[in-house]
Amino acid sequence: MSDSLDAYLILSGILFAIGTFGFLARRNAISMLMSIELMLNAVNLAIIAFGSFIEPLRADGSVIALMVMAVAAAEATVGLAIVMAIYRNRRTPLVDEYDAMRR
Amino acid sequence: MTVPPDFVAVLPLVAAVLAATAVLLVDLALPGRRTAVLLTALVALAVVALAVIAIGGEERVAFGGAYTVDALTTFLQILFVAIIALTVMFGPDYLVPRGLPVAEFAIVLIFAMTGAMLLAASTDLLLLFLGLELMVLPGYLLAAFHKSDGYSTEGAIKYFLLGSFSSAIFLFGLAFVWGLTGSTRVSDVAAVLSTFAAGQGTLSPGLAMGLAFMTTGVAFKIAAVPFHYWTPDAYQGSPTPVTGYLSVGPKIGAFALILRLFVEAMGPLRADWLPVVIVLAAATMTLGNLVALTQNNVKRMLAYSSIAHTGYMLVGLAAWAAGRMEGLEGLLYYGAAYSFMNLGAFAVVAALQKRSGVTSNLDTFAGLGRREPLLGALMVLFLLSLVGIPPTAGFFAKFYVILAAVEAGGALSVLAVIMVLNAAAAAFYYLRVVVYMYMRDPETEQPALRHGRLVWGGLAAATALTILLGIIQGPLLDIVGEAARAIG
Repeated sequence: MSDSLDAYLILSGILFAIGTFGFLARRNAISMLMSIELMLNAVNLAIIAFGSFIEPLRADGSVIALMVMAVAAAEATVGLAIVMAIYRNRRTPLVDEYDAMRR
Repeated sequence: MTVPPDFVAVLPLVAAVLAATAVLLVDLALPGRRTAVLLTALVALAVVALAVIAIGGEERVAFGGAYTVDALTTFLQILFVAIIALTVMFGPDYLVPRGLPVAEFAIVLIFAMTGAMLLAASTDLLLLFLGLELMVLPGYLLAAFHKSDGYSTEGAIKYFLLGSFSSAIFLFGLAFVWGLTGSTRVSDVAAVLSTFAAGQGTLSPGLAMGLAFMTTGVAFKIAAVPFHYWTPDAYQGSPTPVTGYLSVGPKIGAFALILRLFVEAMGPLRADWLPVVIVLAAATMTLGNLVALTQNNVKRMLAYSSIAHTGYMLVGLAAWAAGRMEGLEGLLYYGAAYSFMNLGAFAVVAALQKRSGVTSNLDTFAGLGRREPLLGALMVLFLLSLVGIPPTAGFFAKFYVILAAVEAGGALSVLAVIMVLNAAAAAFYYLRVVVYMYMRDPETEQPALRHGRLVWGGLAAATALTILLGIIQGPLLDIVGEAARAIG
């Protein structure tokens, strides 16, 4: 347990960067969804870190983090439903093969 | 018993949720009765509109400043209800021949409207984000509404992946802005930022990064260049009535977010973000128009043209930042005019696709002027309005924005020149559709289609508004003027 806010924010930034890289580099729709979840978790880490290091932000921090988790869950639900629907049409989860409109 | 004032303020939102629930229950009780469902939806939307007007009479601040009802809120909420009502009217003729459910279409649309209405009234960054998500999540579902169709799901997955990616970016920025200013309230953030603008202390790197991330997230949502890649595929793939909604509803919603974020929260730093908006606006309208020139699919062409229109609206924002209140008024006027003319154009495309299997390629429009004279004439009107030819709504929308930019002077006059050049270039691809309609013969002669009464009703409303906003600007100018003063 480090007692420096900056350390946690840097960790959160690194997690966010990994998520961004994953989103841009992966071709599998499910992996891209996972990368987005990683980015949202990085956001939550930053929020919790702010909340626990800065006294007046403590109450707000928990509320915002819970809200972010709820939004992330809703997004994952919709996302997986869409991935299922396109998998039934195309039989592949690879996004670079979803190019019917660009041909 | 007295009703707490906080609940009075959110009454329109409650009415909107109840409206969606009512449609759901009617569909449950009377399965397969489309007329009952559509009637319920339209009546419920009228009730929501009345609730918005009744509550919007005076300025209200609720939930500790997180939720505000002002002239801007009322204007935007009424606009959203109108957009949803028109989309509900245009939907059935396209959906029914393809075996898609009409009730679910209306319900998901009304839920999306709930999010947009929350967005219009939020003065808290977290609530703004929540409204944004409530608006776009139903949008992803609508894009994938034709779930057995490869194009629809393909457009939806691109819309969804880039949409949630941008939401994550926005949220990361929000976390830092909240952590470093100590509040998510728009007014508190503005107060902290105004101390920097006054020269006391400097913007910390973390806070600057947070604001930049939020800006990037919003730029994705309005499809500003270079964050527009999802737009063409999402618009081309979606069922046509959905495309009409997506090109208008979420765009105006994201502009509501921009107004609260840039004008209210980041208003004190306007000199710093003005160059960014100028570059975004110039790049967005130029690229949108240039690519639209090469499209042969009308839906894809209108997708790129909607990118260009985003650029025109950003010019209004830039003019406000340069000190002209008229810029904001122009932006709001443009938002209303664009909504009706663009929805009208998409409604014509959707009506033509009533026969299942008809594509949205330019060839579909060949000979339309002779085959269906009225539909053809309406399409010409909407296209002329999108070009910006008087006396249509589109002309005055462009006129006010350009006027504000010219009056602001400096770099803004260059932007105004770019905008005029763009509008001239845009005329080429809009009028190409007119050429197809009146001067080309179709390869195979098709009989004229019979369109439903709802479609004609919706088209009549969109036509009336497109013409009226072009002839009588006074009433709407008063409304947008009041709305602009509420925040600027």
